[in-house]
Amino acid sequence: MSSQRINPEASYRLGTAQKLLLLILPLVAALAALCFGRALISPREVFLAVWGKLRGEQTVNGTVALTVWNIRLPRILLALLAGAALSTAGCAFQSLFANPLATPDTLGVAGGASFGAALGILLGFGLVGIQMTAFAMGIAAVALTWLGGSGRGRGLTSVVLSGIMIGSLFSALVSLVKFVADAESQLPAITYWLMGSLQSAGYKNLALGAPPILVGILVLLLLRWRMNLLPLSDDEARSSGANVKALRAVTVICATAMTASCVAMCGQVGWVGLLIPHMCRMKFGSNHVSLLPASVSLGAVFLVIVDTVARSVTAAEIPVSILTAIIGAPFFILLMRRSGGWRL
Amino acid sequence: MILRVENGAYAYKNGPLLFRDVNLEVRPGELLSVLGPNGAGKTTLLKCMMGLLKWKQGRSSLDGTDVASMSERALWTTVAYVPQARSASPAYTAFETVLLGRTGRLGVFSTPKQADLEKAEEVLALLGISRLSQKLCSQMSGGELQMVLIARALAAEPSILVLDEPESNLDFKNQLIVLDTISKLAARGIACIFNTHYPEHALQRSDKALLLSGGEALYGSTSGIVTEANIERAFGVKAAIGSFETAGNELKNVIPLHLSTGEGGAAPEQPEQNALAAVTVISHDYAAAQRINLLLHEYSDMIVGRMGMPYRERGVYIIHTSLDGPRSRIEALSQRLSIIPGVSAKTTYAKEEHELA
Repeated sequence: MSSQRINPEASYRLGTAQKLLLLILPLVAALAALCFGRALISPREVFLAVWGKLRGEQTVNGTVALTVWNIRLPRILLALLAGAALSTAGCAFQSLFANPLATPDTLGVAGGASFGAALGILLGFGLVGIQMTAFAMGIAAVALTWLGGSGRGRGLTSVVLSGIMIGSLFSALVSLVKFVADAESQLPAITYWLMGSLQSAGYKNLALGAPPILVGILVLLLLRWRMNLLPLSDDEARSSGANVKALRAVTVICATAMTASCVAMCGQVGWVGLLIPHMCRMKFGSNHVSLLPASVSLGAVFLVIVDTVARSVTAAEIPVSILTAIIGAPFFILLMRRSGGWRL
Repeated sequence: MILRVENGAYAYKNGPLLFRDVNLEVRPGELLSVLGPNGAGKTTLLKCMMGLLKWKQGRSSLDGTDVASMSERALWTTVAYVPQARSASPAYTAFETVLLGRTGRLGVFSTPKQADLEKAEEVLALLGISRLSQKLCSQMSGGELQMVLIARALAAEPSILVLDEPESNLDFKNQLIVLDTISKLAARGIACIFNTHYPEHALQRSDKALLLSGGEALYGSTSGIVTEANIERAFGVKAAIGSFETAGNELKNVIPLHLSTGEGGAAPEQPEQNALAAVTVISHDYAAAQRINLLLHEYSDMIVGRMGMPYRERGVYIIHTSLDGPRSRIEALSQRLSIIPGVSAKTTYAKEEHELA
């Protein structure tokens, strides 16, 4: 038996090679995504274009520079951020509710944000205005969920139930907005937006949407050891000596802000929040010290790849939500069959 | 660290008092068992004791400090809680689970350090479950999981360990493993409090017992509390307490006979009788001799003669004592001696006068 002894450190932390891989993968994916597209650009040109832009010099021809810097780069940054945020939020919610089916939308964030965006389109707001109403309504939806479901003597299950109610309430409101929207221009815009697209990416949106995501990810990463307490029962978690109430509140706030910010920037991108955390659980186990960084990194990689495919394969861009499901679901099932089932 | 509960009472929201007048005291190395029928509030009592639930009346204190006023951190590095082993456990490995026990000693944003990893390994080794280190808790048997949960509690280096029905739902062998572990921990100076459904486990393991009976809390030495009369009162079951003699010890067992008829439940109070007895103790563990001496000191007023002899060649310590005192106290002493791990103890009572005639 003693020969089976495993170095405990290696057993619960990521190895150096794994850490490095998780850092490099998103960069490689982003670089590759800068090259691919309807027009192929060589890595050298990409590098020169970015370099030239930073130095303020003309290094490559104008179209290439424009494509790399103004079209592809913001979009890839958005994909990195949104993928990381959705995957991290999904992971956090699954642990918080000790429920493998929890997604970033469990508390009704996406429903609220979708309503906000639809409302923004209906009222004829600009892109930034739509983003702001979406974010605000997303947060409002979760606040309503929390007010409705939490309270003395009620468990987290009633919060989840309340989230489902609030979510359906807001999806009804979205339908209402669609109903009154102008069928010629607004209705298609709303429908297309709801399908999720990273097309609208620009530096202005990013400047507004990135901070909540970056802060959320950073806080959760710092709390990664404590997050292991989330799936435990109330008394167990409390008797560890940690302030569980505060931990739960911080987790909900971070995950909500990240999700709301995502939905505000690129609509409802489904699946990432469910698929990636589960894939990471199968590969890295349930310990958040390794699970959380893996979810951040692989979520970003996944969405960059999917979005690159979405904008490259056909002349008319495929909505990204459709692709996340088409690519994600079979891959997930394959992984599940090979690794012996999901676990939480 | 001395845990004390004074006049504790608890009631669920708007309900009647579940139990009242709970008074108890647990010192380092002592084992307290909490007994009572289903629904009497055993688990609730433990939770109140640790401050997980608020007492309706009364208070619990650690070395005189009210538990309710202590910081979570200070409280949970002193007291550790082992909840009932549930089947639905998160998919952490045993090692990760045990490491979680260190969380109370870590900063909010820190991850476990080398010293914490070593402590977790040490605890797993202490309980003899190092082989489970990399096994997932979600795939463990009930017995394995219970041991891992005890290990997690120990990783916090507590001076008081509270266990909620640690041996329920376990088979024969695993019950023995868990109970032996608890006895061993108590012998190392940790105060242990555990809930149990088995009166005989209380008799075979604990110094003190608390029996919840119809809202009242009977508390005292185990041999004085776990009696046929009290069992009938609390559980409504007529039971016989017998004993089984092994070479080294006398083990008590409790056999339920039939449901109480309700008639003649309260046996007439027997006047306390004095008795004369000789207790012989053989300790196979030198450290346990220390504990035996402390125990004898507690009952020194009854001791009329005593001889202690270390027998170094065999590494044992032999003590003969002669006692004269109330029979219940002699029984309490011999019961408390018998529960120390590595100790053989037997008591011989002098014949009473009417038997001699």
